[in-house]
Amino acid sequence: MFGEIIRKFVHLTRRARFEEDFDAEVQFHLETRIADLQSEGLSKEEAIGRARREFGPRARASEETRSAWNFAWLEQTRSDVRFALRSFARRKSFALAAILCLAIGISANVLIFSLVNGVLLRDLPYPQAERLTSVRFSPPNQSDQKLGSNSGTYFFVRDHSDLFEKTGAIRITGFSVSPEAKGETPPEWIQGAWTSTGMTAVMGVEPILGRWYADEPNPDLVISYRLWKRMYHGALDIVGKKIYLDSIPSNIVGVAPEGFQTMNPDIDLWRPQPDRNLANALRSPNRVFFMFGRLKPGISVRQAQARLSALEPGLGQEFEMNRDWGIRIESLHDAYVGYMRRPLLVLQGAVFLLLLIACANAASLLLAQAAARQKEFALRVALGSDRIRLIRQLLVENTVLSLAGGALGTAIAWFGVQAVLRTAFAATHAVKDVSLDSRVLAFTFAISLGTGLVFGVLPSMQVSRSALMNAVRESGRSLTASASSSRLRGAFVVAQVALALVLLTGSGLLIRTLIRLNTTDTGLNPRNIAVIQVPFSRTFYSGANRQSPTGGLLVLFDGRFDALSERVRERLEQVPGVQHATAAVTPPLGGAPRQVQFSRPGVNISQSEQGIWSAEWYPVSASYFETLEIPLKQGRAIDSRDHQKTQPVAMINDAMAREFFPNQDPIGQQIQLDVVDDLPRQIVGIVGNVRQDRYQTRPQPQVYVPRTQLPSFMDMTMSFEILVPSFIVRTSGDPSAVMPALRAALHDVSPALPVSSIRTVEEYAAGQLQDVRQYATLLSLFGGISVVLALTGIFGVMVNTVSQRTNEIGIRVALGATAGDVLKLVIGQGLRLILAGLTLGIAIAFVATPAIGSFLWGVRANDPFTFAVAAAGLAGIALLACYLPALRALRVQPVVALRNE
Amino acid sequence: MTQDLLPGTLYMMVLRTLAAGPLHGYAIARRIQDASRGGLQIEDGSLYPALNRMLVKGWLKAEWGTSENNRRARFYRLTPDGRKQLERETSDFDQLIKSIQLVMRSA
Repeated sequence: MFGEIIRKFVHLTRRARFEEDFDAEVQFHLETRIADLQSEGLSKEEAIGRARREFGPRARASEETRSAWNFAWLEQTRSDVRFALRSFARRKSFALAAILCLAIGISANVLIFSLVNGVLLRDLPYPQAERLTSVRFSPPNQSDQKLGSNSGTYFFVRDHSDLFEKTGAIRITGFSVSPEAKGETPPEWIQGAWTSTGMTAVMGVEPILGRWYADEPNPDLVISYRLWKRMYHGALDIVGKKIYLDSIPSNIVGVAPEGFQTMNPDIDLWRPQPDRNLANALRSPNRVFFMFGRLKPGISVRQAQARLSALEPGLGQEFEMNRDWGIRIESLHDAYVGYMRRPLLVLQGAVFLLLLIACANAASLLLAQAAARQKEFALRVALGSDRIRLIRQLLVENTVLSLAGGALGTAIAWFGVQAVLRTAFAATHAVKDVSLDSRVLAFTFAISLGTGLVFGVLPSMQVSRSALMNAVRESGRSLTASASSSRLRGAFVVAQVALALVLLTGSGLLIRTLIRLNTTDTGLNPRNIAVIQVPFSRTFYSGANRQSPTGGLLVLFDGRFDALSERVRERLEQVPGVQHATAAVTPPLGGAPRQVQFSRPGVNISQSEQGIWSAEWYPVSASYFETLEIPLKQGRAIDSRDHQKTQPVAMINDAMAREFFPNQDPIGQQIQLDVVDDLPRQIVGIVGNVRQDRYQTRPQPQVYVPRTQLPSFMDMTMSFEILVPSFIVRTSGDPSAVMPALRAALHDVSPALPVSSIRTVEEYAAGQLQDVRQYATLLSLFGGISVVLALTGIFGVMVNTVSQRTNEIGIRVALGATAGDVLKLVIGQGLRLILAGLTLGIAIAFVATPAIGSFLWGVRANDPFTFAVAAAGLAGIALLACYLPALRALRVQPVVALRNE
Repeated sequence: MTQDLLPGTLYMMVLRTLAAGPLHGYAIARRIQDASRGGLQIEDGSLYPALNRMLVKGWLKAEWGTSENNRRARFYRLTPDGRKQLERETSDFDQLIKSIQLVMRSA
């Protein structure tokens, strides 16, 4: 059997030769026969005639010989397909409706799978990428949080485990870069990474141009593919060129491959920071390093995690501040895209439900068609077709439909992919490699075939059974078939309503989340505020280095920084249309800022509470609260009277006052912030809470300090933030109208100042909601489509019911039934199906919605209100879909109905 | 085609004919005709589909060679599978004929 298939396949490759050979063989046969006959004494003509007669029709011999090599099932299928196409040509509107239905379901699946494929299934572009890992650290009792390393933890893990073939670490920072020493254009502010010894070897790829830099201290660096294209327009002689970082020349020695990524996808340059400096600079408590490791061959991430977990007690003993911290290793792939797994899989599940609804619709259409084709089937059975043969034919028809649906769906999905790639989601999550590649197409083919089977099998079996029964019956009219096919169609409606309700509930929960997030007060007035981030040059701190008590590196700020900052602020305030200007470090509503720990002189804090005594830390300038309209609750605001020479002050928010000064007046009390060289500060005012991170469920303690009263020596990692002041201006009108003037004003102050971004506070606020909004949009889109599909399903079934029950209704009307009775009869049937569907749907949704629990805010996964609204809404429009066909039933005239008989 | 023959008997006769050694199609047709003394109504043309079906089944192998009149001809020979098939068919056929004869005599 197996040998036959192989021989047939081999034959396929030699088809052309075979035809020639066969002709030659027949020719030889005939000529030899003619020669033999002639030698027996026949004339040439007689011999030719006899030889041909003996041979029989040459065409038939050749046809049968050819068919000996054909695959029988292939021929059979071909004729089935031909038959199906002819049949659809006669039933165009049915075929189109079914194809469209399936195309919608399949396109949604292809679209989401192309995302799953592009984001989750694609390997990272490094050799043996499965061995690349990221090692991070989680605070006590917060195993889901993963923070970077400080140098202590990095060296500890590197030196105490034998898991890795290679290790390295990076620290991400900002650089002001320019291709020229002093040019017309302001320098660009980009993100870059300092890399530890060995880091360049971990990833296992070489630059596409040039080489990696050496590990020892040197002014060499490698730029990203993106920066090479953007700043140097892809010049091939880039290697050896100078690039100016904070006006200091460095050498470009290489260009990283496109898509080369170390943690943050926005990093545009890499430069060496040898371990000596690393050890020096990095013993600070701030976890600003990301550790990478290439596992030795044969060690799995799971094994590595077990070994690293065993190291945790030792880490706590060696560094007090790491006590009870966890070490978390994950594959680099998970570290980069793991957070997208759940949303994408949930979406994939949602579109799968959508496809099931579409399948139910197509199946329902098939059943309706089958009623009309009873005679055809009966005839075929009468002519000797058996049940298997009939099912086969029907399945081929369905497969043709589903493949056509798949083809159309793929075309729709292609547009969908283009649309997704243009969204902000794609930009923020570095989603680029999404396309309809061979894997997506294989998936499409598989689900199309599967779809054909799913929606086709039940109707085919049902149809073929009734066809057999009808073949026995005299008349072509079938009662039993319609009864059992109605039951089946009813079941489809129940399933459709149930699945649509699940999708509707899910999108409803996300929409409620969005509404909650949007309407909850942020604590400031975000209207008409622009935020300009202006990274100052590193030249503002001197190299007079000092070690902090914890070992971190401190840098000295001189007065020039404050002077420039104040000059910029004043100049911005003069721009027409600007009401107030102030300076801060963190953009308002731009995400949670750094936390600092604090204590109260004279108040003992137990060891266990130490971590809890922390607050969000905001260095701000005068008129900060006025500009943002943050309400002053008590005391006074920070103003220009607070400077280096006066009493250090601080302001706190309501939440901090309530939590840490219960039943006391905080005004006049002292707090000591855990910032190097910071003096005890007196609390002078209390302001309202600001929801800086919109996903925070409760108000966070916040402390504000005057920017001018910061210590001159700052922890290097903190200084980095301070070097990028956010200037905040409140405008009288639309802030985007004054943005060009703001830019020009900055250029006036100093042409060397790079602007990293100008955005409105509302943009920052919207940015935080962007992911959940897009998620809600997609899910609602699918939910909406599913409702439309379910409605057409209900509508179709009801129309069918009414037309089947025309006689019955006619008789009832003749016997005196009122319009109300008829409506009750028809709608009652629809209502039963809808209620059954809703009940089933609520049960499924109850189990399913926790899957999106982590995206919800201010609403529980089984929120009764959302469930009720979704169910009621769906019930309402579903009833409408019943009502319209029911109206048709009202118009039934008894006479017409009886004549129908 | 070969409606005058019992089903499958053409295969058996071809296998039997080839048992002695490789032959080309024309020679097979002639041997069968001669051996049956013209008693079988087989069109020569129907031999070729049968030969090809046997190639598919793997009972025969075909290769080009030179005929006795010095022309290029396609020669068929039995494979080990074909030989086994011949044995099987021969014994089955004998059995069938015996059974039929028993019925014919008793009736």
